[in-house]
Amino acid sequence: MFIVGFLARRLAQGAVIVFLVSFLIFTLLRVIPGDPVRLMAGGMAPDELIEQIAADMGLRDPIPVQFARYMGGVMRGDLGQSFVRPASGAAVGGAQFDDATRAERARVLSLIAETAPMTVQLALLSMVFALLIATPIGVAGGLYPGRWPDKLALYLGSLFVSLPNFWLGIVLVLLLSVNLRLLPAIGYQGFAWTILPAIVLAIEIAPFLIRTLTVSVAQIMRENFIAAATVRGLGRGRIVVAHALKNAAVPLLNLLGVQFSMLLGGVLVIEFIFDYPGLGLLTINAVLQRDFPLIQGIAIVTSAAFVLINIAVDLAATAIDPRLDY
Amino acid sequence: MISRRNFLTAAGVAAGAPIINPRFFIDSAYAQSGKPIIFLSAENITGNWDPTAHTTLSQKNIEGYVMGFLTRFPMRADDPDAMTYELAESLELLDGSRLQIKLKPGITFHDGEPFGAKDVKATFEYGAQPDRPAQWYPGPTDSFEVTTPDDLTVIVDTSKGGYSASLFIFLAGYLPMMSAKDIAGGPNGPLSQRLNGTGPFRFVEQRRNDTILEAFPDYFMGAPKVSGVTFSFVGDATTRVLSMLNGQASIIERLEPEQAETVSQSPNIKLHSLVSVENKYLWFRCSKPPFDNPLLRKAACHAIDRELINEILGEAGHPSSNFISPIKFGYISLENYPEYDPDECQRLLAEAGYPGGQGLPPLEYITSVGFYPKTQEYGEIITAMLQEQGFPVTLNVMEVAAWNEALYDRPGGGPGHMIDCGWSTGSPEPDLVLRTHFHSSSKRITGIVDPEIDASLDRQRSAPTLDERRRLLQEETTPMLADKVPAYSLFTSVMIHAIQADLEGLFIYPDGSIDASVADFV
Repeated sequence: MFIVGFLARRLAQGAVIVFLVSFLIFTLLRVIPGDPVRLMAGGMAPDELIEQIAADMGLRDPIPVQFARYMGGVMRGDLGQSFVRPASGAAVGGAQFDDATRAERARVLSLIAETAPMTVQLALLSMVFALLIATPIGVAGGLYPGRWPDKLALYLGSLFVSLPNFWLGIVLVLLLSVNLRLLPAIGYQGFAWTILPAIVLAIEIAPFLIRTLTVSVAQIMRENFIAAATVRGLGRGRIVVAHALKNAAVPLLNLLGVQFSMLLGGVLVIEFIFDYPGLGLLTINAVLQRDFPLIQGIAIVTSAAFVLINIAVDLAATAIDPRLDY
Repeated sequence: MISRRNFLTAAGVAAGAPIINPRFFIDSAYAQSGKPIIFLSAENITGNWDPTAHTTLSQKNIEGYVMGFLTRFPMRADDPDAMTYELAESLELLDGSRLQIKLKPGITFHDGEPFGAKDVKATFEYGAQPDRPAQWYPGPTDSFEVTTPDDLTVIVDTSKGGYSASLFIFLAGYLPMMSAKDIAGGPNGPLSQRLNGTGPFRFVEQRRNDTILEAFPDYFMGAPKVSGVTFSFVGDATTRVLSMLNGQASIIERLEPEQAETVSQSPNIKLHSLVSVENKYLWFRCSKPPFDNPLLRKAACHAIDRELINEILGEAGHPSSNFISPIKFGYISLENYPEYDPDECQRLLAEAGYPGGQGLPPLEYITSVGFYPKTQEYGEIITAMLQEQGFPVTLNVMEVAAWNEALYDRPGGGPGHMIDCGWSTGSPEPDLVLRTHFHSSSKRITGIVDPEIDASLDRQRSAPTLDERRRLLQEETTPMLADKVPAYSLFTSVMIHAIQADLEGLFIYPDGSIDASVADFV
């Protein structure tokens, strides 16, 4: 019963958040400079034609009217059509306005459905790498506060957080792909193409995980139940793994949820540098081409994902620590 | 201590490890055998495969792999007029207004349709229709007549248009031959859906930003040795270079001099540099104030020191003083081409009614970044030089797709007041630049309407012989353009390609298109 009430409440809150995000993005896109109709119709289109197309598409209606129409489509599962991309999904430009033969435009939902799994794969792999990097460093730092593992965690965290991701991406490509020929780097032709960008993202998010782990493990190791465990005759390994880490997992889980959501919507630079065909690259091109329906679609999907991931994280946290009440 | 649980866990991992195929995680991106050529393009395509529907260079380059041409012009500096036959067996001027084209037999399109005279006729007539965005010349469809005495003979008669049929000789190397059956399907038919040609590679599909081409085994000059070509749009120049360095890309284009120096240090990469058919221009929006005034345009030209621009470009630029590349028919270094002369600039500004630039409206100069080398760098220099003479100019640097959409003239004048762009056409034919841009029937970017320029362009087009046409171009038309400067040609591009050292047999044309029919990884 708790689950049903919890889900109903959180999903309702989530729907409000997604609605507000959609409205905000929708409004902002329409007040910034750059006419999407100009991009759709081509550079040579006369202004009268631009106005005619805009009127036909309802783009000159008041923003609330446009938004209501758009959300009506969204409720029916229709995120609209890209303004500029053909059905093949290619980034395009350069055609002329009086060319009636431009290919049919791609559905926004199809474009997102094609690219989102790529970004999810990248985000998941980078989380795995980040945990592999952060767990030993962070746990050691928490187990030995004030001693060298703690300082190492602090210094490594500071170092990782100071590395600009675009710089690190280029350096790792030069090192691992160009010089050592260990990994492919640009584009996507298989799982191996995910590894290098995932490493860069992992190094970017690892400092936050290291810090969280260090602090929470150190805090838990000072708790009475840890001391009691020793008295009960449990070995240190078992105390750390089964008791300290399990309790330290709750803040880590929350952080992982936030980081994962951030990765879904925020891997723009990395996907651009690696030409990785995920949501980030799609977003960059959509913004550059003023592809409003695509930008809106991506914003709705990523904000919905953010909400759902947070609900899942809260549920998982409740499972780990039943005392938690959301 | 080893517990039963630990033992079973370790045993399970040990048993499972060999089952996992490590190639799933780390696949060989560097396999040599049977791999296609991977070309990374700096420019995107248009989303419409009809060759007459665009003027986008990257898409022209794709057409170079897929489509067949009657002839080809290698256009090397030592012999710019040299011609090789491809689909045509011979081109013969029967008289001043009739050109006879004999075709090679036994050629088929990729869809299996035989290629013949009907296809040449359909291509010429369709491509010259005034509503086609590419607008091929020398004249619209109603200015010439095409007859086909038999399946392999085409006669082009230009007597209706009053110009020489010899103009079709240069165009023969530029027009991709389309299937009459496709053309009959109309502009919304199969032409716009996919490419269908007679070239060495067959169009398979557009997969996001990758255009997938595969070797056409029945290519009439012999099946290509490589399995195909993947033509990919990669917008970021650094990404393209990295991809070249790690061996994923086979060819990348438009390297900047610094990038060329970086990749040249790799033993696995060779550089190919070529004076191209492309000039880079500062196009004035001539259909709206203030650059509808030729005095002001000329004043702006005299404010620009092209030597500085050439210094910035280094190996990527070749000095030239004309509106066409030195490898185009009719090129001459023009004596009256505007050079850097601040005094003359000030005199012209005063004569135009804007002494010292006083009274000029704010001017916008649009350029792109990511496609042409050094555009932002020399754009900033040009902006500074214009400002020094009193032009209130601001530079607007755009990403390629947005710039592409802002490029062309439109009723009332295109965006901004000046825009940077190159123009590259794979033929020695000068009218593919001059008429396209400066004749009032086309005026793609400038929007210029000038009856004197129109008349001169018509005169040289209608010259009875090539020698007379060359004389008119060199003594009348281009000097007149240098006087009215609807655009200012800054330099001729040098195209620098980086190619994997083991890829041999490529032939790169000066417009950037590539013949890979005999290329192979060795």
